[in-house]
Amino acid sequence: MQIDVKAIFESFVSGLTYLPKTLILILVPLSIGLVVGTSIALVRIYKVPVLSQFFAVFIPVYQGVPIVVALMVYNLIYLMKTNDVLKFFGSSKTIADIDSIYVGLFALSLMMICSISEVMRGALLSINKGQYEASYSVGMTKPQTLRKIILPQVISIAIPALINTTVGLIKSTSIVYAIGIAEILSGALVPSSRKYTFFEGYLAAAIIYWILTILIELLYSYLEKRTSIFKTGKTENKKLWSLKCWRSNTSEKALAEMKS
Amino acid sequence: MGDLFSADRLVEEFPKLIPYLIENLKVLLWATVFGVILGLLITGVRMKKIPILYQITVVYISFMRGTPMLVQLLLIYYGLPAFIDPILGTNISREWPPILFAYTTFILNQGAFLSSIFYGAIKGVPSGQFEAGLSVGMTKLQTFRRIIAPMAVRIALPPFGSDFVGVFHNASLVYVIGVVDIMGRAKSIGSATGHVLEAYVIVALLFIIFSMGARALFGFVGNKLDYANIKVR
Amino acid sequence: MLEIKHIRKSFGRNEVLKDVSLNVKKGEVVVILGPSGSGKTTLLRCLNFLEKADSGEITIGNKNVVIQNAGRKDILDLRRKTGFVFQNYNLFANKTALENIMEGLVTARKVPKKDARNIAEETLKWVGLHDKADYYPSQLSGGQQQRVGIARAVALNPEVILFDEPTSALDPELVGEILELIKKVATKGITMIVVTHEMTFAQDVADKVIFMDGGVVVEEGAPKEIFYRPKEERTKQFLAKFIIPDNMYYI
Repeated sequence: MQIDVKAIFESFVSGLTYLPKTLILILVPLSIGLVVGTSIALVRIYKVPVLSQFFAVFIPVYQGVPIVVALMVYNLIYLMKTNDVLKFFGSSKTIADIDSIYVGLFALSLMMICSISEVMRGALLSINKGQYEASYSVGMTKPQTLRKIILPQVISIAIPALINTTVGLIKSTSIVYAIGIAEILSGALVPSSRKYTFFEGYLAAAIIYWILTILIELLYSYLEKRTSIFKTGKTENKKLWSLKCWRSNTSEKALAEMKS
Repeated sequence: MGDLFSADRLVEEFPKLIPYLIENLKVLLWATVFGVILGLLITGVRMKKIPILYQITVVYISFMRGTPMLVQLLLIYYGLPAFIDPILGTNISREWPPILFAYTTFILNQGAFLSSIFYGAIKGVPSGQFEAGLSVGMTKLQTFRRIIAPMAVRIALPPFGSDFVGVFHNASLVYVIGVVDIMGRAKSIGSATGHVLEAYVIVALLFIIFSMGARALFGFVGNKLDYANIKVR
Repeated sequence: MLEIKHIRKSFGRNEVLKDVSLNVKKGEVVVILGPSGSGKTTLLRCLNFLEKADSGEITIGNKNVVIQNAGRKDILDLRRKTGFVFQNYNLFANKTALENIMEGLVTARKVPKKDARNIAEETLKWVGLHDKADYYPSQLSGGQQQRVGIARAVALNPEVILFDEPTSALDPELVGEILELIKKVATKGITMIVVTHEMTFAQDVADKVIFMDGGVVVEEGAPKEIFYRPKEERTKQFLAKFIIPDNMYYI
């Protein structure tokens, strides 16, 4: 078996034509995840009754389900029940009129909501209590404190983890291929199934995903520079974290020195 | 929910599915054991900055982290024969059971992920610890073995734990190359009976139990290793 | 006993040490003063090869090392003749107080474990922490950690102990007790080089005070000379910044 370079190129081009679909599968769950996930994190931090207990159970449980299993379950329900539901609401449309991409969007959004809520909760917990107290002491209200002081710090702390989560999302979009949604992977395989050049097809798809994740990581280093005004260096988070890890032997002052 | 879901079928199918979880656990085991070995080798290359090998590992890690497991799995499945057969004169796409391709992919993937975790953990040990080791007259190697490595293990444990659970989740994809694991079995039950939802629910439940159990275990071990929590005699 | 000649060290384009030479006699306590960025900490770190100087020569006891030719073995030998007390303690986070002291003895000096334990226990007692032997650094206060740090250096019985601003990470109320402990080390007759900002301590304990600024030794002499009759303008300016009781300056 020889590697067919031309086939790689064909698959690459064919896969790229489905980029918009994949971008939808990335951007929609990411946006929903950011908004809803952050809200859930706040609900849990502020210990809103009932809701916070619910999420404390739901999120770890749901995160135990692999995305492919969740996707299969939703797809099954969608296939079996969509017509009934449409009929129930008196619609004349059938499942044929509804794009199955919604199933993928639903599964990926739920996944992102869970992971982003955990990222944001971790970041919120890492904010020193003194930051809240200082804001209240200068007469700021709770929402003001949140908006002006806490969230900007939280976002900067959360960026590395958010980028990681986004890379995970990009990779997960390939899994919707399993329920027949056309995206980069299935696009790259169109020429392959014609000429039986599957290796080349998967390689082309891999290259596209690789480029996407590298772009995201470049964005990360850019954002890192932008938001580093109140941080001092790339390694800082890691060091702080490792210090926290065993509540290190170093005092505040030593810690400050380490940052410089 | 009409005929979509029945508790009877759920109970019936449970014993039929459970044995197939072994396949996923085997993938997890191979990926972890050999992934750790490969990960340590790569970490060594990165720490020592061995020329050429170092550049190769940079590209390798980036590729493994930047492309989906699903694609890697299929890439190995279709690509490995092209590399191995001409050299060994074999025909592995027929001779190898699919799970060997799964092992290969997962080990290669884990080598990259674990090396990032190990490398980050070593770099995460405050540099003062290294200097202190040198200052009492230990060699670099002694300091690494006795001071840096134990602390790096402690730092690496939480990300290692999440990675471990992640690998197990990813192992639910091996059915795409024809491994009859718990997902593959769920699918075949589905095509035989026309009812697959119950099987998927069982799979989901098993994964939830395993993930939460593994997280709890890693959390427990992490706490045990936390020098701030160790009870003084 | 300890002699350094023509030490130079640059970080990039920034020359931190410009031809520094120094002579310390056995049992002498030398205090290095100077504004921040004067190179005093770098000098200390170069002595222990935590920082490798660019050029120069270091002699400790009977061991002479020319920096440019220093091999692994030379560096190790030199390090085993010195102890180091860090500003932020740098206790091994994965070892108890006792193990922190034993580690260098057992691993680097090949002292049998049993003997090392005895030495460590004794030294820990000597710094007043025998009841904290099994505590991890994270369970100790800053002052206690620095006591262990000092014990760790003393237990090795090195020819010289280097103190890098040993009290500047401590809460003010703890500074006194650590300085007392360092004085106690001095009375043992161990050669010491101390980088500090504690002027009273320098006056009380030092046999020799060295004032550094801009990477060079500006002035050196007995504490009385440096504090009361500084010759150089830079020394006068630096000392003036510290509140020195009136009577002291005009004695």
